[in-house]
Amino acid sequence: MKTFEEKWTAWIDDQLTGRELDDFLASLPDRAAAEGEKQEAKQLGTLLREQAVSLSNADFFSHQLRQRIEKDDQEQDHEQEQESSGWWTIRRLLWGAAVSFAVFLACAVFVFQNKTPQSQSQYLTEILSYRVDPNVSPNASITTFEKKDDHVTVLWADGLQSFPKEYAAK
Amino acid sequence: MRTEATDVSELELVERCQRGEAAAFDELVTRYRTRVFGMIYNMVHNEQDAWDLAQDSFVKAWKSIARFRGKSSFYTWLYRIVMNVSIDWLRKKQVKGAGTEFDDAVQLREVDPASKTLPRAEALPHQRMEREEIRTRIDEAIAQLTPEHRAVILMKETEGMQYHEIAEALGCSIGTVMSRLFYARKRLQNLLRDVYENV
Repeated sequence: MKTFEEKWTAWIDDQLTGRELDDFLASLPDRAAAEGEKQEAKQLGTLLREQAVSLSNADFFSHQLRQRIEKDDQEQDHEQEQESSGWWTIRRLLWGAAVSFAVFLACAVFVFQNKTPQSQSQYLTEILSYRVDPNVSPNASITTFEKKDDHVTVLWADGLQSFPKEYAAK
Repeated sequence: MRTEATDVSELELVERCQRGEAAAFDELVTRYRTRVFGMIYNMVHNEQDAWDLAQDSFVKAWKSIARFRGKSSFYTWLYRIVMNVSIDWLRKKQVKGAGTEFDDAVQLREVDPASKTLPRAEALPHQRMEREEIRTRIDEAIAQLTPEHRAVILMKETEGMQYHEIAEALGCSIGTVMSRLFYARKRLQNLLRDVYENV
């Protein structure tokens, strides 16, 4: 459903036809005044068209525009170049950081692996390497228990006739 | 819409522009520069501003022409850019409140006889003065309309655009266009009655 303003505008621009036009004209309280206004609207349109402004220095306008577009395009290319080179720098930094971290990790693992055996006491190592002569003590058995939390190692020797002198002193 | 040169089809030029051919865009500029400038001048009433805004509009058109899908005609698409640029500029100016919109110091420039686009012959001094007076009255009257009302009446009366084209260019409904035309015409008829009755 068109509003009065829409119908009026369509009528001024000769866009109202058929039954819609008849209904609209019939609804006008003063047909003569409306026709006068329509005529004025047409005059206004003619005036606006006749007084339209021209572009002076049109060729210079185009020239200036061409230069501006070229400059903008160059700046855009430059920005894209900078953006891509910046991204390359960031990628290089990321790669550098990742390689450094991997090297650090490898070194740390190596150092800890070498350190762990040293944490065991030299005394225990010597005891474990001890061999009991089966001819002298056929029922001898030596067992070690280690409790790492308390840093305690228990040596359980069973069936030995005597303990070697050199260890008794330690 | 009548343009300055129509040897090559508009669609072909647009396609060439989309392939990055600046020369094709130059051709489109030649076709529409006068109308675009005139349209913007009627919106802002300042020749220098109109020149700058027309340049801005064409630069925007060049940058976004790759996105033009041909759903509307090129000039409707271009006018949408022109209107957005002009209305944004007017709104910013209103917010800043920098003096009156109409600048008495700005005189309507005479057409450069060397320009290719010039259809007019040299006017006599009294004719020139009369034309300037009329132009001033028109500018003052249009300045009293809102940017949206200005856009609608100028596109309709000076550009001869259809309702749906104006609606497309302004991003509003046809009903809104017709309603705005109604009020813009009424206002200008009141303000310019003595001018068009005596011309």
